[in-house]
Amino acid sequence: MDPNAIIESYVGDVVGRIPRRQRADVGFELRSLLREELAGRAEVAGRPADEPMVMELLAAFGRPQDVADRYRPAGFTVIRPADAPGFAWFALGGVALQWAVTLPIAYADPGVAEWAESAGVAGAWWAPLPAWWLSGGLGAFWWPGFMITLTLIAAMIRHRRDRVETASESLPQAEPRMAPRIPPQVLDRDRVNRAGLVLAMSFGALGASVLIALPWLAVIAPGLPQPVIDAFVFDPEFLAWRAPWFVVLWAMTFAGGFALLIAGRYTRTIRLTSIANDVAFLALVTWSLAAGPIFVSPAAEEVTRVCLIGIMLVFVFDIVIHVRRLTPTRAPVLSN
Amino acid sequence: MVESRPEQSGKLEQDLRKGVLVLAVLSQLRTPQYGYSLRQALAERGMPIEEGTLYPLLRRLEGQGLLASEWRIDDGPPRRYYTLSPAGAETYRDLTTAWGSLTSVVAALLHEES
Repeated sequence: MDPNAIIESYVGDVVGRIPRRQRADVGFELRSLLREELAGRAEVAGRPADEPMVMELLAAFGRPQDVADRYRPAGFTVIRPADAPGFAWFALGGVALQWAVTLPIAYADPGVAEWAESAGVAGAWWAPLPAWWLSGGLGAFWWPGFMITLTLIAAMIRHRRDRVETASESLPQAEPRMAPRIPPQVLDRDRVNRAGLVLAMSFGALGASVLIALPWLAVIAPGLPQPVIDAFVFDPEFLAWRAPWFVVLWAMTFAGGFALLIAGRYTRTIRLTSIANDVAFLALVTWSLAAGPIFVSPAAEEVTRVCLIGIMLVFVFDIVIHVRRLTPTRAPVLSN
Repeated sequence: MVESRPEQSGKLEQDLRKGVLVLAVLSQLRTPQYGYSLRQALAERGMPIEEGTLYPLLRRLEGQGLLASEWRIDDGPPRRYYTLSPAGAETYRDLTTAWGSLTSVVAALLHEES
């Protein structure tokens, strides 16, 4: 085969992968350089250029996609190496968690059982799997996609910020260069952002006040339509036995929040108290879900149960974070 | 898998060379050169660079404003000649100074070790 035809095909492959505005220029130059290189090799070999010679040259030059990468300006990192293991655990853990929830539901779903019967596979252990895979199974992959989208947006913002900082650092400076401004919470992970904590406590207090006020909704807001008031009526048994414990734990959470606000950073005691509080909340929510209805209205009850399961996951996540930060780093084995 | 010692040394030497690649290229572009002639010139002076690395590097340096280029037709096919731009000449001087101090520091470190 004509060596020039092979070079032509290679150049076409490379330039097809680089920005359109560079294609003509890079293509023209690359073609010319490859021909020069080939002529040089032919001269050294003492024979005319042939197919094996051009293939050897192109192999040394690299795969077209690698060469195109080298012509592109350096990109930016979407997931930093240090974040990659955590990202993978969080992404795959989210998928596994959804499967753990949706798979038993699929096995218990009467609609799936009806389908299995109509398909003549009733009783087969795998009968619910096709329906599950096409709904909850594949559907669980929204989570890694959602995480990737958020990470991409965060990486783009970070890249933009870094470019601005680099540009400002390259300006001539009369004073000696100051250390880059990094938020103290980034350097000291136990430190809290007081403004953020006050905001979070304010929202928490607001939410707790709304829930505590629900039994008196008709008195506080008499103008509300009756269906709205009916929708938020607590189950009397919940109100008598379980609800007071929520108030106690909320009060303890706020006390912990104030202690953290005063200290300005997490101490071992505050972390241990937070873990105890989280465990108590987990036990209370589990008891509330198991002991009977929370709201009288079935619709409100259903939504509340889903929300409480989500809240339990947040507590578990919080416990894991606290335990990890309390665990001291293992000392290396020291030789004598 | 743990790499063999020669493999490891080869990679580390490659990294070492990568660090001085830009300075080596800039040093040869005080006079205009086209890609192939530049590669030959570097190889003759003991600094062989893979063609797949050198040519994109020239474009990047040009994109950074360190090189200027023009197409010329002498006694052969059209060729793109690269040379240092004014900013490139300044950068070359800075890098040469930095290289001088770096080599003396590293030489002192190595001497201390031996």
